[in-house]
Amino acid sequence: MSGLPVLDHATLDRLRELNEPGEPDIVIEVLTLFLEDAPARVAAVAAAQAAGDARGLERAAHGLKGSAGNIGALRLQALCHRIEDLGRLEEAGDPMVVLSLHEEFETLRQEVTRLL
Amino acid sequence: MAVDAALPSPVPLTILVADDDAGSRRIVAGMLRKAGYEVIQAENGAQAWALLQRADGPQLAILDWMMPELDGTEVCRRVRAVPTDTPAYLILLTSRGRSVDIVEGLKAGANDHVTKPADEGELLARVQVGARVVHLQHALADRVARLEEALRNVQQLQGLLPICSYCKRIRDDRNYWQQVESYITHHADVQFSHSCCPDCYERVVKPELDALEASDGDT
Repeated sequence: MSGLPVLDHATLDRLRELNEPGEPDIVIEVLTLFLEDAPARVAAVAAAQAAGDARGLERAAHGLKGSAGNIGALRLQALCHRIEDLGRLEEAGDPMVVLSLHEEFETLRQEVTRLL
Repeated sequence: MAVDAALPSPVPLTILVADDDAGSRRIVAGMLRKAGYEVIQAENGAQAWALLQRADGPQLAILDWMMPELDGTEVCRRVRAVPTDTPAYLILLTSRGRSVDIVEGLKAGANDHVTKPADEGELLARVQVGARVVHLQHALADRVARLEEALRNVQQLQGLLPICSYCKRIRDDRNYWQQVESYITHHADVQFSHSCCPDCYERVVKPELDALEASDGDT
């Protein structure tokens, strides 16, 4: 996972190709939506872990994985995939995964903010 | 992936994009609008189900698998439970790429699936397949309706018709005697243009004309 970029700029370039003349920049829109939406998804993962709710952990991590994939947040996407698997395997008890998630999200948030 | 320029232009269609992730909705809607489709959006499964139940609802829907209130698979099940000649074409959008998940989605009633994050070329190609299916279904339903209507008209002309041996009028269901042309016009999509056959001309019309001519000569 450490070999992956925090943010894959090739993904953002592909998104930019969807821009229509006279319309707002889709990359800015999608990154802004991500920063608005993702903290609640991170909190949902943390809450499910704290409650030992494996099914909730799987579901919350799955949602955040999709959001991360949209903007090319490859490291966060890979981490969420791992957490989703833990939930599927009924292993919701490791608080370290939530710590890693918070760290990864903070790194990503700073990089995204620089682009806005 | 860049979209293949050789792909045919899309047929007119309104597509529902249902996803609780606003960013994902924005991206998928952007791909579809750029390709010329009209897009409506729902932010959860319950909204999607409500839109799909409308008489003028979307005929093609791209549904996220995991959504609040109703999952995409549950929306598929509900849509399939409603008998119709023109069922909506349903594509599940999911990052659940395992074959067991794909099978579950198809069993729930999805026609197809696309893996998240959506690849533009793949998404549009699958949507075009769906659009073709939708238009074929509508053309087929329209053809069936026309055939059923024609069959009803034919059935109205079938059976024993009581006809007068002398004047050739036909007795209808209400015991009225009607002229043949009146009866057929009423029971089938046929209109008569009145004319005169050669035999009747010789037998009826010509003697009348001769008589008229003779009477003119007398005066």
